[in-house]
Amino acid sequence: MHAPATSALLENPFAKRRSHRETYEFIVRSVLRGATYLILFATAAIFLHIIVKGSPILFQAKAPFINVEFLTKLPETLHVLEDKQGHIYKTDPKGADAIKHQLGDNLRQEKTISYSGGGILGPIVGTFLLVLVCIVIALFLGISSAIYLSEYAKPGKFIEWVRLAILNLAGVPSVVFGLFGLGVFVLAAPVFTNTPLDRALLVIPLGFTQMSFQGWDTSVLSGAFTLAFVILPVIITASEECLRAVPMGFRETSLALGATRWQTIWRSVLPFAMPGILTSSILGIARAAGETAPIMFTAALAFKDKLPWQGEAGFGGVFTESVQALPYHIYTLAARIPQNEYSERAQYGSVFVFLVLVMTLATASVLLRRKLRAKYKW
Amino acid sequence: MNEEKPSPSSDFQGLIKPPSFLGLRVDRQSLIKHFFTGSAAVTILTLFLIMYSLLKEGTGFIPTYQFELKVYRQAGLEFCDFIQKPLTENTALLSKLNRAVNADTATLTQKAQVRRDALFLAKGRVEEKTARLREAVTEAVETANTPPEKLAQARQALNEANAKAVGEEAFPDVYSAEERRQIASDLGTLQPDAAEPPAIIKTLSAEFAEQDRIAKEKYAGFLEAVEAFEEATEPIVELHDGIAELAKSTKEAAVQQHMAEDAKAQLLAAAESAKTPEAKANFQKEADATSLEAIDYKGKIEPIVAKLPEYEAMVPTYVAAIKAAMEKVPQKGETKESTALINEVRKQLPKHLTHAEESPALMKAWQWDKPIPMVQALTAFLFGGDWITNSSWQDFYGVVPLLTGSLLIAVIALVIALPLSVGAAIYTNQFASPREQELIKPFIEFIQAIPSVVLGFIGISVVGDLIKETSNVAWLQWIPGFPVQERLNMFNAGLLLALMAIPTMFSLAEDAIQNVPRAFSEASEALGATKLQTVFRVIFPASLSGVFAAMLLGLGRIIGETMVVLLVAGNRIAIPDFSDGIGTVFQPAHTLTGIIAQELGEVSKGSSHWQALFMVGILLFTISLLINFVSRKVVKRFQLPKI
Repeated sequence: MHAPATSALLENPFAKRRSHRETYEFIVRSVLRGATYLILFATAAIFLHIIVKGSPILFQAKAPFINVEFLTKLPETLHVLEDKQGHIYKTDPKGADAIKHQLGDNLRQEKTISYSGGGILGPIVGTFLLVLVCIVIALFLGISSAIYLSEYAKPGKFIEWVRLAILNLAGVPSVVFGLFGLGVFVLAAPVFTNTPLDRALLVIPLGFTQMSFQGWDTSVLSGAFTLAFVILPVIITASEECLRAVPMGFRETSLALGATRWQTIWRSVLPFAMPGILTSSILGIARAAGETAPIMFTAALAFKDKLPWQGEAGFGGVFTESVQALPYHIYTLAARIPQNEYSERAQYGSVFVFLVLVMTLATASVLLRRKLRAKYKW
Repeated sequence: MNEEKPSPSSDFQGLIKPPSFLGLRVDRQSLIKHFFTGSAAVTILTLFLIMYSLLKEGTGFIPTYQFELKVYRQAGLEFCDFIQKPLTENTALLSKLNRAVNADTATLTQKAQVRRDALFLAKGRVEEKTARLREAVTEAVETANTPPEKLAQARQALNEANAKAVGEEAFPDVYSAEERRQIASDLGTLQPDAAEPPAIIKTLSAEFAEQDRIAKEKYAGFLEAVEAFEEATEPIVELHDGIAELAKSTKEAAVQQHMAEDAKAQLLAAAESAKTPEAKANFQKEADATSLEAIDYKGKIEPIVAKLPEYEAMVPTYVAAIKAAMEKVPQKGETKESTALINEVRKQLPKHLTHAEESPALMKAWQWDKPIPMVQALTAFLFGGDWITNSSWQDFYGVVPLLTGSLLIAVIALVIALPLSVGAAIYTNQFASPREQELIKPFIEFIQAIPSVVLGFIGISVVGDLIKETSNVAWLQWIPGFPVQERLNMFNAGLLLALMAIPTMFSLAEDAIQNVPRAFSEASEALGATKLQTVFRVIFPASLSGVFAAMLLGLGRIIGETMVVLLVAGNRIAIPDFSDGIGTVFQPAHTLTGIIAQELGEVSKGSSHWQALFMVGILLFTISLLINFVSRKVVKRFQLPKI
């Protein structure tokens, strides 16, 4: 070292100095870390943006602290009236008539913004119905198919082939399932009726009534079935994996003790596979709740001024009526109406409620997995 | 299982002697088994029904499209399009020349134009802000007996509001101090009933008119050339429009006849299956009543083809006119932009002229009765460059613009997502502390649960404006494609799709790295390799097949995604213009998934458009199967040895 002696004395000659190699390693590590945190940051920014813009719409400072109106009213057209003194009134169609009457000549201008007034009860109810019916169909068919494939089916070429086909279907775009749902459930599924439509593909007389393959129209049932088949491949594959992960010894022990096949499955296989099955199922359902493309043509309407059970069909309407759904409502608000200061309330409000709903499902699956895993261990 | 007597020993009994059910001996175990078999069969059958129904609806497309293409040819629309093609090219070249000449004249007029337009904009904003008070003044003026003091009061209020609004205006730095004062006073006293526009506006408008006149004088030659370029097409356009009219009427007749044929076939089928003889006779009568006159394609095509010699004579004139016009176009423009445009036109011109010169020969070789094979309908779908629907001329279902849009967006998303997710996977697995891992992994998996429509909404409401604003920043202008024209474009969609694909790619890549046997890294470290060397020369290469599979599955997710591209990609059905280089990514596009979501709701069942959309579905289905297949092969082929 040619440094002046004084400074050399001040420096600790044994201090660890970074070599070139270490500097290089540090840089590479930082770049990789940067990539990781960039992903986290982008996601956090999106969540924060929605929370900051959306939560003031749902929550308020006064009791009851939640904007009840937003959650309990149907969507309606928002009317914005301005009088000649510059006062602005935001109201629903009925209120608009009253204010117009009251203002008379004093009315300066009126703007209407579709879908942006009222609340989002219709979409919330629709999404709940779709998800509920979808859960019943998907879990029933999914878990029992998985039990068949893993416990009953004889291994062979055919079953391998079926397994592969199911695995491949898991990657098929959801909009393709939407096409299929339209072609099959909306236009060709069987119904029992005395007056079959002309477009029915096939009519089978059953004596007291007729079975007509004329489809279920755009309805909750069509949408829920389509959604169920979007997530079925995932649920079947994941459930089967969980079932097969239960050690063979469990089954052998049970059978050796004289239990029947079903007792074995029910008592010593399913309980241990359940955490995995439930987790994957709830994740699947969270996905179904978030899907838009499959319900666009099979269940959802842009606007409906009645709840499903208020129609002609009465309570049966929860299956046979078309509904509004949150994801489709968001699509409508984002793409079909002009963006302005008045449309923001409905947009961010719906997005916020929707995100909370889906994220709750996703979080529930994680928590459930933890809890059940602690209970069943081998 | 309630058909059984509940007894504690029933299981035992079941083993020895199956209980009776409906007179049959069925044991409970096999019933349970059949229950599961049945529900599995229902599921599997329905999943296969998916493929079947897609294929059924989609394959009908090919004969339908073949028929449409046949009519297109026989009615002579194809013949007319031989003329239309050079005309379309001419329009494209003309628009470039126009842009060039505008860019040149702008060098003289731009300053005056900015000065005038900024003032107009400011005036508009001021008027908008004070609209309510302006209306009050108008009303006061129009009402017959308004007291003068009230009118004066209204005017006073308006002037105050005007002055305030003008004060809020930020004027660009193109006015002198004197002009600024005048603007403030003129705009500050804007009254709705003023007879004349403010003086300053008049001044600036006159200034612009003068500059415009000077520019027109200076570039008179260029302007004339552009005009001549446009006029050269006029006789051809006239001829084309005349025969196009004829061809279209033939086509309409053909479509009518086809519909009548269908109706007759239906009536005959109804007659066949009618229950009573009277009904049968009725249907038969109705069917006979629909007369099916064969269309005389030959006779109708003759007047169209007869125009060919006339067109042939026009072509040399046209070519000469265009060449003469191009002579007058200056070699070099005044600005960089116009020079580039002129050079582009010069480059494309020979091709255009050969197209024009070749077209009569093509038309001579064309035969109206040349049959269209089935395969051609399929190739026209797969390799056709136009997706045109609801057109009054001819619908085309060529999937190429949609496919290029989908693929280009996928490439953008992959270029962004791959380094990020693989980098994050390496970092999380190899460098992060356990505590960090606990944070990163669930967080990234959480991204997967964000619904795509929410991301699409973010794309419209936030990312679009963000991109546009960033692209206007002065020191970023070196980036190709900046400033961005469209808020919603492929880059925007790619950005959001990258975020959607990251969780899939991250977890699969992380799994692949995790699955590299410990012995690999231990051996590497025992040989004295550093951590970095171990990671990048041993572990990462060993996990490459898994990382590649992760990329493919991420790609599958990106291509299949619907809502984000539908909301954000801009939905312009055209093959992107690749002459922009990298800047192409800022153009809007349409996609395979987006077109289904957008158009399926509006088409009638069974029409050729409906079938075409199902064909797009089949294409998507095939792509996703292909991606799955390749990724499985890759993982199998490059499996690591078990140690």
